[in-house]
Amino acid sequence: MISRSAIGRNAQLALRRQCCAKPAPSNRRGLAAVSTGSTSFSYESADVGGIKVASRDVAGPTTSLAVVVKAGTRYQPLPGLTVGLEGFAFKNTLRRSALRITRESELLGGQLLAYHTRESLVLEAKFLREDLPYFTELLGEVITQTKYTDYEYHEEVEHLIKLSQKRLLADVSDLALNSAHGIAFHRGLGTPLYPTSSSPLSKYLNDGTIHEFADAAYTKSNLAVVANGASQTDLSKTVGEFFTGVKSSTNAVSSPASKYYGGEERIAHDSGNALVLAFPGSSSFTAGGSYKPEISVLAALLGGKSSIKWTPGFSLLAKAASSFPGASATTTHFAYSDAGLLTIQFTGSAQAIRGASTEAVKSLKSISEGSISKEDFTKAVALAKYRALEEGQSTDAGLVSTGAGLVHGGKPFQIGEVGKSVEGVTAEKLKSAAKALLEGKATVSAVGDLYVLPYAEELGLKV
Amino acid sequence: MSAPSLANAILKRPWLTKLVKPIAAWYADAAGYRKLGLRADDLIPEESENVLLALKRLPQKEAYDRVFRLRRAFQCSLAHQLLPKDQQTKPEEDYPYLSPIIKQVEAEAKERDDWDAVVVKRKA
Repeated sequence: MISRSAIGRNAQLALRRQCCAKPAPSNRRGLAAVSTGSTSFSYESADVGGIKVASRDVAGPTTSLAVVVKAGTRYQPLPGLTVGLEGFAFKNTLRRSALRITRESELLGGQLLAYHTRESLVLEAKFLREDLPYFTELLGEVITQTKYTDYEYHEEVEHLIKLSQKRLLADVSDLALNSAHGIAFHRGLGTPLYPTSSSPLSKYLNDGTIHEFADAAYTKSNLAVVANGASQTDLSKTVGEFFTGVKSSTNAVSSPASKYYGGEERIAHDSGNALVLAFPGSSSFTAGGSYKPEISVLAALLGGKSSIKWTPGFSLLAKAASSFPGASATTTHFAYSDAGLLTIQFTGSAQAIRGASTEAVKSLKSISEGSISKEDFTKAVALAKYRALEEGQSTDAGLVSTGAGLVHGGKPFQIGEVGKSVEGVTAEKLKSAAKALLEGKATVSAVGDLYVLPYAEELGLKV
Repeated sequence: MSAPSLANAILKRPWLTKLVKPIAAWYADAAGYRKLGLRADDLIPEESENVLLALKRLPQKEAYDRVFRLRRAFQCSLAHQLLPKDQQTKPEEDYPYLSPIIKQVEAEAKERDDWDAVVVKRKA
């Protein structure tokens, strides 16, 4: 007999490993084997018959494919058209019904989604890698052959638009953010992301106007096809095959160049309080020239929400807000193709918001005077760099920013360059950026208990 | 809406269509609804999910005209009178305005049932 101890520990391990390896032999890859996709995080872009196509061949069994269209709320000729067009995504087409589209993609394990930002309308499909031809065909069919019937509008789309209006009305922070955009940019970028409930939609919105907008928006120069997890050759081939029906533009959608105005708006609201302080920011990286990385460093330095647990973190606003329990502050930088908005958003009880916002303006002043410790500055640069890179790396944000970049300026999101430009920010640049913000006109939007919420004047901001 | 009908079989054969058409025209006229200003599609019973949905999908003008015709017909029926000749439905006005929509709704319902009963066969 061989005693148990006679079998070496190594032999036991080897046995065990063999057993475990059995169930999924195909997933094992030896050291010398080649991976199916590259692990590069930059997009390769190409032009297929007039349509811009970009892909990133990340190794993995799934693909996300998106059609990014320059048809966000900024470009809608009449209020609500973007939301209407989004509602008509994946509805009846000339070749198959909405039900068929849903059930077929369910059977293939795919997900279909449609959403919009201020600049882009995105139709996205996520699926298993081998189903690329099916979903490319589907997206091509949706943008060229949707029927836009009146009964679908009344039965399925209109109802959702009304609900989104009500949701917006109930959400004070969204209301304040939309109001801040409206004050800052008036038309174009200032158009609310969802129509407000008091806007007269039935006057502008019906299946006919949506169809017209679709014809203007879904044109070759106006859209980009972006994929994550598909090889450039496969994607170009399928897009060349299935996007042949897309027309070249005759009357392209357009919007005048954004101009920053600034000002103050106060809206009384019963359920909650929100205050947004906003300043002109920088355009997105993909826009090229007007990209200012110091604004994103400033956003990270002001911060508000801690990125690590159990501490308010290093950011100035988090420290300021911690003495006003009940108030929460976040700094977000919204970057668009030709402008940006640096916003500080406060929510919570009106009294706490009043205190925290006063502190926030004080800390912005301290940055402009240059009294920021070197350590905080280093931390802020690191965080801003991380955020920029993470945005490029994550599938969804990367798809949208690459697509928007291609449609607007013809430059995909290149992750390496973003990192470098953020690293190049100096304390001096940051100081002068903060100074410029305080000297220019600010945007202040207060929603909630107006008796307590401060005016811009009281905060010491110019409007 | 799904009573058995020979119409398709007849329409497929031109000689038979030619033969039956005068009889059909005489029959529709003799049925009497045109003398009350109605159309054939006004007589479809409303009490079914499909028809109710189809009625909702009617264009606004069609829906309004339909209600007008029905009310006028009720009034005539109560008064035991027929409409004057010039207000009665002419044969060319008696076209199907509702039944194509009902057929579309029925097709949608059938497609849903078919998808609910679908059997997936995986390729080996």
